[in-house]
Amino acid sequence: MFCYNCGCQLSEHDYCTACGADVSLYKKIMHVSNMFYNEGLEKAGVRDLSGAINSLRQSLKFNKNNIEARNLLGLVYFEMGEAVAALSEWVISKNIRPEKNVADDYIGMIQSNASRLDAINQTIKKYNYAYTYCVQGSKDLAVIQLKKVLALNPKFIRAHLLLALLYMDGEHWEQAGKEIQKCLRIDRNNTQSLRYMKEVEHMLSSDEGDRPSSKRKKDETMRYQSDNEIIIQPLNVKENKGGGFSTILNILIGLVIGAAAMYFLAVPAVQKDAQIKIQEETVKWGNQLDVKTSELKNLENQIAALKNSNSELNQQLTGITGENGTMSVIDRLLKAAAIYMETENLEQTAEALESIEQDMNVESASEEFQNLYHLLRNTVGPKIAGDYREKGYTYYRNEDFEAAIEFLKKAVYYDSSNANSLLDLGNAYRKNGDSDEAIATYDQVIEQFPDTEYARRAQQFKKELETEE
Amino acid sequence: MINFEEELKKFHPSLEVEDAEEAIYNQDLTDMADLLVKMIKESGVDVNGQ
Repeated sequence: MFCYNCGCQLSEHDYCTACGADVSLYKKIMHVSNMFYNEGLEKAGVRDLSGAINSLRQSLKFNKNNIEARNLLGLVYFEMGEAVAALSEWVISKNIRPEKNVADDYIGMIQSNASRLDAINQTIKKYNYAYTYCVQGSKDLAVIQLKKVLALNPKFIRAHLLLALLYMDGEHWEQAGKEIQKCLRIDRNNTQSLRYMKEVEHMLSSDEGDRPSSKRKKDETMRYQSDNEIIIQPLNVKENKGGGFSTILNILIGLVIGAAAMYFLAVPAVQKDAQIKIQEETVKWGNQLDVKTSELKNLENQIAALKNSNSELNQQLTGITGENGTMSVIDRLLKAAAIYMETENLEQTAEALESIEQDMNVESASEEFQNLYHLLRNTVGPKIAGDYREKGYTYYRNEDFEAAIEFLKKAVYYDSSNANSLLDLGNAYRKNGDSDEAIATYDQVIEQFPDTEYARRAQQFKKELETEE
Repeated sequence: MINFEEELKKFHPSLEVEDAEEAIYNQDLTDMADLLVKMIKESGVDVNGQ
């Protein structure tokens, strides 16, 4: 302690031993300043920063040169996030005592780190923006800004308190309480924090008890914050602890719903696919059926053609092997030849040849057949022709003209070169009243035997017939 | 019940770093000791006790 007058160090006396000035009151003032400093130090030690500030300011009011009190005050300000206030105290402290002053270190710590200084400045600016938003009524923007401030400087008590106030105004009591708790962790006896906390606790307790039923119904939730998440849990929800039966029932209901969904959604599509496939199969089989039908028709036509061919072949076969077939006729021809060769019976041979000629067209037979037939006929013919002529003439004379015609025809057949037979035949026709045949026969005579007596007589008979008609 | 407007009045903008110098200059550092010395001088008492 130094004398206020001369600056000499004071003794235990109430006067200055150098200049004699009365220093009793002065000493008391110094003592009071020191007392407040001690009090502030004690409060700072238990984190009663607000109380420490009050005590230290009191100390400085009594003695502005109390360097320790001023330095401590700067520290307390810095701990509360009031960096500019802290710097102010340290600068003043350094001006009062330039040498051997810890304030020099504090100032150097801040100013040496440019990014930290800039962060401090940004924090203050954002806080001021937030305050401006609050005054203007833009509370949401203020909240956003304050969150940014507190991200930069988590110990900024005024920002915490302003944010808590905004939460309280928005009735977000839980969040307000959280902010106030942070303040109280930094400054244990902050009056404003304690008052806000009292209000928050009051509102939270009243919310649990006296909320009206309608509002309870609306707000029946519990909110709490877990780290950075706000969890809202409904209160009236009971967890299903029944287990077994309800689970099985739920599974059954789910199966029923799934089956219904399958039935209404999947089955129609499957059915449609099946129908499409069926239609395709139907078309395919229809096409195959058409092909088979056409093949069937072709086959039927072939069958009809084959049947016709078969019937024709059968007819041919019958013609060959039948009763009057070729084989049979050949047999008869061979038989006729055998009769003649064995018995030389002219009549039987002639009859056989006649029957053959009646049943078939000899000219359509094979060459060998015709040769044999004509051979037999030429062999037998002339011989039998004479017999037939004699018989026929006999019947003519007996006026049995029909029989005469029969035998004379055979005679002409076997020997067409016999004019007598031909003429007699014509006469038999004439006598029998068959004029047309008679005329035809007479024409044959005239044609075959021209310039002969036979031709003349035939001509004469013919005229007579024509005259009669 | 806390009134937001009334409480807001208790808050003030914070001094920025650029404003610190002016704030320091404007700060009144008069203390009790200064008042005492002034009073003594005004009273005209001889500092030597006379």
